Amino acid sequence: MSEMSKIVRTIAAIVFPFIMIYGLYVIAHGHLTPGGGFQGGAIVASACALLLVAYGSMWTMRRIGEKRLSVFESIGAFFFIALALLGLFFGAVFFNNFLAGSSFLFGDIPMVGSNTGDMNTGGVLPLMNFAVGIKVVAGLFVIILVMAYASNHMEKKRGEKQG
Amino acid sequence: MSRRDMFAVVFFSIVCMFFIFSALLMHPFGSPDETDMDDMIIKNTQRETGANNGVTSVVFDYRGFDTLGEATILFTAVAGVVLLFRRMKET
Amino acid sequence: MLLEYAHIVIPIFIVATSIFAVLLRDLLGAAVAVAAMSLLLSLEFYILQAPDVAIAEAGVGACLTTAILIIAIKATKRMEEEI
Repeated sequence: MSEMSKIVRTIAAIVFPFIMIYGLYVIAHGHLTPGGGFQGGAIVASACALLLVAYGSMWTMRRIGEKRLSVFESIGAFFFIALALLGLFFGAVFFNNFLAGSSFLFGDIPMVGSNTGDMNTGGVLPLMNFAVGIKVVAGLFVIILVMAYASNHMEKKRGEKQG
Repeated sequence: MSRRDMFAVVFFSIVCMFFIFSALLMHPFGSPDETDMDDMIIKNTQRETGANNGVTSVVFDYRGFDTLGEATILFTAVAGVVLLFRRMKET
Repeated sequence: MLLEYAHIVIPIFIVATSIFAVLLRDLLGAAVAVAAMSLLLSLEFYILQAPDVAIAEAGVGACLTTAILIIAIKATKRMEEEI
């Protein structure tokens, strides 16, 4: 995909931070409001897809290679499984929520019933949300990036053959 | 009418009948048959996991293995797509 | 009362956009019809009180799937051939 006109590029650059902030909000408040790692990751990947459409796949590939995105996805998967294994060590079972109730990071217990919500609750759930968020952003964006780059490359080769 | 059309009509009516009967047997909205598991999770989720959002606590805590399988599926899909299109990039 | 009507109207629109997606010869229009179907489905999920699924459907179905379909159409042909 080649880059689009200057109007589209400017509007995409203005809109991009707002979509990004909304996606990061959905990831970070996954244990309080509807949403979570997968939903917020899909929104952030949509913002990156907007940049890809506006600026072209060559520009995006130069900024973020697919190797770096693969590394990010592996980091997300590693942290997810590592948190589950830490539950096995500190608690009793795999996927044990060992941070809930301890006076450590994210360790508070909220009042039962409807309450105003506190960021410092949830045990390992916010950390797992972040791990899955990184994984989903990298995974969904690398699919679109690699497909767009290959399609652009193929089109260029077809043009060379004809001309 | 050929034999293939007859088969299609019979199959379509059977599927339609199945859908109509299941629509007639549907429960009213918000009142499922078995409520033991739902009640247990709704009552205990804030005390046990400390999260206000019950859905996230089910996805990441009570049913964590499902999320692990979902992550594996995403990983496999990405690996397949990158394997397929990276060769296209080089050649 | 309004919600009762919404439960009737939105599924009819979902079925109509799905029929458009199947019938259209222009594949780009069919991709846009799929995106509209996905957005209406996310609205239906929202009024059925499942906001988690609605956010996931709006993000994946209406944006990323459409992007993948349009990239695939760009790499191949736009119009469907007559059989």
